[in-house]
Amino acid sequence: MTAIRARLAAIPSWQITLAIALLVLGFLIAAQLAAEGPRVRYTTQERSTLIETTLGLQSQQDALKAQILDLRTQIGELEAEGPGSDALVRQLNADLDQARIAAGLIPMQGPGIVFRLEDAGVPGGGADTLVTARDVRVVVEELWLAGAEAISVNGERVTVSTAFLDIGGSVLANSAYLAPPYTIAAIGPAGLYDRVRASASFAAFVAERVEAEGLHLSVAQPDTVDVPAFAGTVNVRYGRPTGSPVPNP
Amino acid sequence: MTGLGAVGRRGPGMAGLAGRTRWAVLAVAVLLGVLAVGQLRGQAGVPGLSNLSAQELGVVVANLNAQNEQLRGEIATLERQQSDLATAKDRGESAVEQLQADLARIRAWAGLTGLVGPGITISVRGPIGADGVQDLVNELRNAGAEGIAIAGIRLVPGVVVQGGPGRLAIGDVGLGDAFMIRAVGSPQILTGTLTRAGGVIALLATTYPQARISVTPADTIELPATTRDLRPADAHPRL
Repeated sequence: MTAIRARLAAIPSWQITLAIALLVLGFLIAAQLAAEGPRVRYTTQERSTLIETTLGLQSQQDALKAQILDLRTQIGELEAEGPGSDALVRQLNADLDQARIAAGLIPMQGPGIVFRLEDAGVPGGGADTLVTARDVRVVVEELWLAGAEAISVNGERVTVSTAFLDIGGSVLANSAYLAPPYTIAAIGPAGLYDRVRASASFAAFVAERVEAEGLHLSVAQPDTVDVPAFAGTVNVRYGRPTGSPVPNP
Repeated sequence: MTGLGAVGRRGPGMAGLAGRTRWAVLAVAVLLGVLAVGQLRGQAGVPGLSNLSAQELGVVVANLNAQNEQLRGEIATLERQQSDLATAKDRGESAVEQLQADLARIRAWAGLTGLVGPGITISVRGPIGADGVQDLVNELRNAGAEGIAIAGIRLVPGVVVQGGPGRLAIGDVGLGDAFMIRAVGSPQILTGTLTRAGGVIALLATTYPQARISVTPADTIELPATTRDLRPADAHPRL
């Protein structure tokens, strides 16, 4: 033992440093190869092509949505500018304004809160440590129940048609691909956050997902919250309106 | 680089090796740096996308393609509408018909008027929690439902089912142990999405084994308008 210790003590420190560096190097090379391996075997080109296609389609979608918002603004202006001396046209324009607000087609501003929901960030922590579509949906539902008037998730307006879906470790909303962290902005009455916190189902969500699984949930209460307009399709293909409109917008 | 200095100063018998050792350690350090940066960039280069498998990316691409097609359809509709309005304006005519059509379209979509059309009826019987019902609603929206009502109450923003099994409520209305969900949309797509193997109803059967959920396609489903006042009190249009 003494001889071994003596030999170990005799090893120059630079050799130890070099050995450690080489070990780390080996680990990194192995990790790199492990990460690249399946792609090389199965999907190197397919995957990179798919990512490029996805990014291209996303940027197309952004441009299309911007065009829709622009067209809606122009239509609104044309409608308002039209020969509107008679009461019917004025009333129709006022009704349209109200209907657009109710449908989420107008960007809104007001007091409110902003939640930020992030993955637990535990390496190898498993699927439970990632934010799911259901987590995002639960926070949105709690905000509605607490009296929120307009909500967006990562800039996507939540409307009557919005679904939240899991895609890998990310979420699709309004068919827009949203990556974590998720910023959920809500406009609502004073005390909106207190109402959310007082909810038993929100407390259960915090206990099960934040405290138990380690998801990060933070909240900010800025003076003003901005919620963008919905930029998706407003089409009714299968249904047709019935009856007279209700008095409400 | 502290390590390099230490090597030069402390190594016994380093007089001949110091230069080569420095270069060796430097080369290893550079390689380490390159690999570490490559690893980090590989993980964070495209936020979120790098975590997806090729199959999941395929789903995202298909979804984006479909959505972009819908958006192009919406743009075509809006361009026609814009053109009609501009023509009417140039002629000095009022655009009452266009305004009425636009209003009817938005109201129907937003749940402000009743809606009738083909769709499905979902019968829910037995104990189920609000999360299960909201899962069904989420899946209906995903499948393109154009309007949904639960127990005769039209779903619009702000209307959410709450409560545990046996205590379900929508707004102030209790749902009891048996209620109906009605949705207007493609009966085939709605039914197929809900009832597919591994779909939401199959999953709910494991979470709520005592609940009985059945789906019936229908040629005509009638949904009421919402009675909820959707005029905001605190939010105002951003100028």
